[in-house]
Amino acid sequence: MMKKILMILMVLLAVCAVTFAQGQKAEAEVKESVEGFDWRQFEGETIVTCFPNHVTYNALMPLIPEFEAKTGIKVEVDLLQYLKMHDKQVLEMSKPSGDYDLISMVVMWKTEYATAGMLRPLEPYFENPNLAYPDYDFDDLVPAYVENTGYVGGDKIYLGGEGATLYGVPFGAETSIMIYRQDIFDEYNIKVPDTYDELMAAAKFITEEVPGVYGFTSRGASGHQAMAGYLLHASPFGASVFDENWEPAFNSPKAIAALEWMKEMFKYGPPGMTSFGQDGQFQAFLQGDAAIYLDASVFAGKARDPQQSTVYDKLGYAMHPLKESRLSESGGFGLGIPANASNPEAAFLFMQWMTSKEVERKVIENGGAPFRMSSVSDPALQAKYPDFAVLAKQLPHVNPDWRPLIPEWGEINNMLGIAVNQVLTGEKQPQQAMDEMVAPVREIMVRAGYIK
Amino acid sequence: MKSVTRKRIGKTVLMIFVIIASLVCIFPIYEMISTSLKYDVDAFSLPPKWIFTPTFDNYTSIFVSSNFGRYFINSVIVALSATFFSVFLGALAGYSIARFRYKGKKLIVILTLLMRMIPPVILVVPVFILWTKMGISDTRFGLVIVYVALNLPFNIWVLKTFIADIPYSLDESAIIDGCSDWTVFRKIILPLIAPGIAVASIFTFRISWNEYILSLVLTNRFTRTLPVAVSLYLTDAGTEWGKITAIATIIAIPAFIFTFTAAKQLITGMTAGAVKG
Amino acid sequence: MSSAKGLATRKSPYLFILPAFAILVGVLVLPVFSGIRLGFFEWALRDIGKDPEFVGLRNFMDIFRSENFHTSIRVTLIFTFSVVVLELFIGTVLALLLEKGVPGLRFFRTIFILPVMIAPVVVGVVWKFMYNPSYGKINYFLQVLGIEPVGWLSDPQMALISIIITDVWQWTPFVFLLILAGLQGVPQELNDASKVDGANYLQTLVHIKLPCLSNVIAVTAVLRLIDAFRGLVVMLIMTNGGPGVSTEILSLHLYKTAFTDQRLGKASAIAVVLLMIITLLSIFFITRSMKDEEL
Repeated sequence: MMKKILMILMVLLAVCAVTFAQGQKAEAEVKESVEGFDWRQFEGETIVTCFPNHVTYNALMPLIPEFEAKTGIKVEVDLLQYLKMHDKQVLEMSKPSGDYDLISMVVMWKTEYATAGMLRPLEPYFENPNLAYPDYDFDDLVPAYVENTGYVGGDKIYLGGEGATLYGVPFGAETSIMIYRQDIFDEYNIKVPDTYDELMAAAKFITEEVPGVYGFTSRGASGHQAMAGYLLHASPFGASVFDENWEPAFNSPKAIAALEWMKEMFKYGPPGMTSFGQDGQFQAFLQGDAAIYLDASVFAGKARDPQQSTVYDKLGYAMHPLKESRLSESGGFGLGIPANASNPEAAFLFMQWMTSKEVERKVIENGGAPFRMSSVSDPALQAKYPDFAVLAKQLPHVNPDWRPLIPEWGEINNMLGIAVNQVLTGEKQPQQAMDEMVAPVREIMVRAGYIK
Repeated sequence: MKSVTRKRIGKTVLMIFVIIASLVCIFPIYEMISTSLKYDVDAFSLPPKWIFTPTFDNYTSIFVSSNFGRYFINSVIVALSATFFSVFLGALAGYSIARFRYKGKKLIVILTLLMRMIPPVILVVPVFILWTKMGISDTRFGLVIVYVALNLPFNIWVLKTFIADIPYSLDESAIIDGCSDWTVFRKIILPLIAPGIAVASIFTFRISWNEYILSLVLTNRFTRTLPVAVSLYLTDAGTEWGKITAIATIIAIPAFIFTFTAAKQLITGMTAGAVKG
Repeated sequence: MSSAKGLATRKSPYLFILPAFAILVGVLVLPVFSGIRLGFFEWALRDIGKDPEFVGLRNFMDIFRSENFHTSIRVTLIFTFSVVVLELFIGTVLALLLEKGVPGLRFFRTIFILPVMIAPVVVGVVWKFMYNPSYGKINYFLQVLGIEPVGWLSDPQMALISIIITDVWQWTPFVFLLILAGLQGVPQELNDASKVDGANYLQTLVHIKLPCLSNVIAVTAVLRLIDAFRGLVVMLIMTNGGPGVSTEILSLHLYKTAFTDQRLGKASAIAVVLLMIITLLSIFFITRSMKDEEL
């Protein structure tokens, strides 16, 4: 008996010692290799990046000279409006030699790009000891973001898993959380909504009882915006665009229930919501016209910025409310290296640098959104940015499959988004609008060979 | 006496009416300029701040940030060269049509008239594909040549009208003196159609300077023009109205200049083809 | 350059027209035909390096079956008809009122040119700002007048009207200037003669002025009609065709099919339809222009 206990103790001790030693050794090694890592190996080269005019990227801009000083690589940024980037990128990447060395892609486009052979797989770069920054810590990147922005060819073509290839890393990636007006909730003694029913009740109450303030703000403009706003709710309602066999499911009872809910919710938003893009949605909250925001988490950076927000000191945060689940969106941007890039290695250095732990912290400081577990769960940062604590709780509920990112999604997204908008404006009834879309969407899917 | 008062009242009512119409005309332009001179807080505030401290922050920040200077220079180069070539070639063709009889002329005239009607959006896809294949998409040349072509029908038409108004006896006496057609065109026709050249130039410049869709599709970060730069600020994550209206104001500057210095030519241009004479 | 002289030469007129002709053919005619051809193929932007797939009439069948295409045609017709009628009406009334001249007419005429000169992109941006439901000035003015705020760009019933208002703002001055120029071309003797005959203003208007103007009005109408089919930038900036597809006129529908949906072939099929409509409209314009020519 004693022997056994002793044995266990000794084993434990040994394990501890080894771990400790290894830790020490690992730390030493890291230090050494960090010093040994050659940041200046591509000195004198110029890389061209295509970035969106977006909060997190804007937060990066002032930091770029640091990278240029550190590496001797010159960085040129082609800043575009995000929906305009697609055509430019496709065009550049279809040429024998393109203009861009590093692109930021909306996750919707990754499958299209990757299956057309326009992007370089990133594994070879991460495995190359001369190129891979040893202190990078890939596993610290929010796994759901990596799956959503980076992997193609797994369980479903646009997901990770068996057989998937890495084409991107997240930067400007996001999920959804709720941001609300703490002052109004306190003053009127409203319970912070934890379910979809409570959310509706709170929005209704605020619209009816609080003078000059509407309950909810959402995007609703025809096309992509309305569709994004809708899918955000479809996911926790247990609805999806296609079923397991790629048959349209957007007219299923659950999908219609989500749409009905959204239509009802639009009664409690500021006027003009059916024309709002993200801009309108944000402004309504920032100007104090709406009390609850439920959408992309990147907005937190704007909401707490006194220069942009009239309500920066009155904010509360909560998780995505519960219906069947709390499955939240996963969207935003990732970084990829075009197959026809002229300076892919230098671009890879820049990609690693801008997504490294140190730079991520500075980006957050400048109002950007976090994308590493280490920062989201850092108590010091959580104290400074209360949304991080909520985000940390939300991240396990991220649904990478909340919309089907197949190459044909652009067209389907636009068609369904028009229909959703028509429902929101009252032009059509939910069931009718979605039923009408089945035939045309099916036709696209048949043509693309998903179904017969 | 009575009718005089009535007339006066009529005049006053008319005057008020005209003033209101001009205010309606001008208000959006006032709104653009004033917003560009405001901080966003003032721009969004309602009731509107009619009196505010102007700031040039929006202008300095667009000039400093991004590639505004580059876009501005591109716009100038593209608009000026499109204007030069389109007007010059238009004058040559106008001369040919106004002064000579030859086979196939009717066909050419019909062709130019038809081409004048083509919606530029129809060209976007095929030109984009053809230019990419030829390697001239994303170049200023590729954009200029499209603008030259789009404006040619109008320029040919206007300049042909001006040339036709020059007495043919002038040509004749020069030809008798032994001048070639080219010399006649250069020494006699060109100087006499200067007002027509002004009209054609202003209109070509205006269209090339303002054009958006083709420039959006046919340019890249090196060759992009100003109207496209506006749309870069219409982001979905927050429309920066101050900066957008600042760029919009800069784009509108040539329009202001032309309007206040060349109103007569503008009216001639607008009425060309619609009103005879 | 040709040294041949006079009307008898055969070479020089061709040389003078050749550069313009070459550019028109190379940049306008060929792409238009290549676009028509593209209507029979299936193509996306990402396939630019590959050979397109021939699909026969499928793109045309697609658009004729598509509800959004039908809506788009309807929107185009409503938009075009409304702006042409409104602009002609307001422009003509203004021209008749100001024909006699008010003090400072020249100044006002200059002011009226401004909207015409402004870039469509700028027009779209500025009006989008003014129509904004939370900080736009238009709803503010309505509120001052005690009128309920209007969902200018968000209400499917209003959005097209808002676009029409913007177009009327930009182009009525143009119509006004044309009609005014036309009125000044009405021979004074005719006016005087009708006055001597004791005709009142309305009679002079109906029997003398309008008939003299009919030609100008007709041409102005055709010019505006064709322009209304050409423009899309204002809608693209202000509504991107929404809500639903309530402001998606044909040229915008074409643009979005090409660049949002990535269906270049289908977009080209729409282009063919648009081209046919424009050609029909042009026939009037061309026959009239040709009539004036002694060819």
